[in-house]
Amino acid sequence: MVLSILTAIGVMTALSGGLALLMVIADATIGRYGPCRIRINDSRDLEVEGGQSLLSTLKNEQIFIPSACGGRGSCGLCKVEVLSGAGAILPTELPWLTPDEQKRQIRLSCQVRVKRDLSIRIPEELFNVHQYQARVAGLRDLTYDIKEVRLQLLDPPAIDFKPGQYIQFEVPAYELTDEPIYRAYSVASGPDQHGEVELEIRYVPNGICTTYVHQHLKVGNTATINGPYGDFFLRDTNRDILFIAGGSGMAPIKSILSDMVHTKNPRRTRYCFGAKAIRDLFLVDEMRAIEKQLPDFKFIPCLSAPDTADVWNGERGLVTEVVDRTVTNLDNLEAYLCGSPLMIDACVALLKKKGLPEDRIFYDKFA
Amino acid sequence: MKQTPEMDRIQQEMHPGIITQNGFLGDDSRHLNDMLQEQDAEIQRLGLTHEQIAARLAELRDAGVQGLGQPVRVEPHFEVTADSVRGRLPCPFMHGVTVGKLNTTIRNLASGETITVTDLTIHLIKDHGFYGGHGAPFAITPEHLARFLELT
Repeated sequence: MVLSILTAIGVMTALSGGLALLMVIADATIGRYGPCRIRINDSRDLEVEGGQSLLSTLKNEQIFIPSACGGRGSCGLCKVEVLSGAGAILPTELPWLTPDEQKRQIRLSCQVRVKRDLSIRIPEELFNVHQYQARVAGLRDLTYDIKEVRLQLLDPPAIDFKPGQYIQFEVPAYELTDEPIYRAYSVASGPDQHGEVELEIRYVPNGICTTYVHQHLKVGNTATINGPYGDFFLRDTNRDILFIAGGSGMAPIKSILSDMVHTKNPRRTRYCFGAKAIRDLFLVDEMRAIEKQLPDFKFIPCLSAPDTADVWNGERGLVTEVVDRTVTNLDNLEAYLCGSPLMIDACVALLKKKGLPEDRIFYDKFA
Repeated sequence: MKQTPEMDRIQQEMHPGIITQNGFLGDDSRHLNDMLQEQDAEIQRLGLTHEQIAARLAELRDAGVQGLGQPVRVEPHFEVTADSVRGRLPCPFMHGVTVGKLNTTIRNLASGETITVTDLTIHLIKDHGFYGGHGAPFAITPEHLARFLELT
């Protein structure tokens, strides 16, 4: 009897121990998929360790897919064509993919986990995106809530970009984030300044990156960026140009204007910049200087609700109202917009209503 | 109070790094059930409903949207700035709803106080009676919110 009980206890102990061992082994191995191969554009192969998202895996291989939310599937930006190996589309991807994109096997790279060999296709220009180590060379308050950040590139020491494009700025772990995250900002400096990148960053309450930049970043700090990205740049035509911007949407327009000055671009150019009051205006002197440097450029700042103490003889009203009043001939016009998505949506609707074809309206919603 | 496994799953979604970087719970260690019950009781004590709070926030948000990113004056003495960024966020209550990333900053010019709410905040209040855990970004107690909006 005692022997039977002891035997039963022994068997149970052995079974429990075995199960526990299996759980430990499973814990250590499930989720590790071993080496996988990623074939890119049918022309190059990467040997990678499986288990991470496609976005992170490519980043580890110095291939940077633009992403504005840090890989949480909430910006819908990190789309790549996955020809094979990704499995079914996840529910988290569906809100971002049109039926046509689903048919073309477009996926959110942050949601696709590398578990087996993959074949993907990405735009060739992404191979020109690099990571840069930089030093904060200057910080300047442009308004009470917009800061200019001047980065001196250290390694590599220079960047080639088209004026109007953006970079991603890495925020290191600090009190608002346990892990590094990236946020996208348009470059404000001209492309002739290869060794420096200037950004204009508006403070957003509770914003992880903007709080870091406005309250923690100091001159002399190191910073990491990657880029350039984006297809917001001046088209090579002879059409008249209409720039519309608000807030930190000034940045890419300033970069394009710097390049126009550098290349002595003669195109007729008008720039409507929307702000609430005088305290929200910035770089006005720089814009007036560009008016003297370019043959046919006019800067049109407009205030939607000037403060009572503001002395203002310029345009008044929302930027859409000012554009509606002042832009009358759209026959030979191209429009370039940068600012809050709300402003851009309203301006696109207005310009279309005024008869400007949609393919002559270019915009960047990364304000 | 114990809560259902479904509530556990929803509370898990609210932790930092799942839907948003900092989550919806802050340093609040209560069960989600308890938070919802206490916040609901607070609203009832005030003689209000979650829908009333959410409707007033939505009204201010809609007025702010007209400013295209610039502040807009709203009677009797609010200044509202609505600004959106690219993207949508899923509701942590996992019922298939996603909400655009629109932040509305409201300044009560009489009290000088400023709050920022997101469209997800408004949805969570209206459809779930959830105001966020203590110390969470964008969290604000029902009593504080009602006072700020001058509904009491």
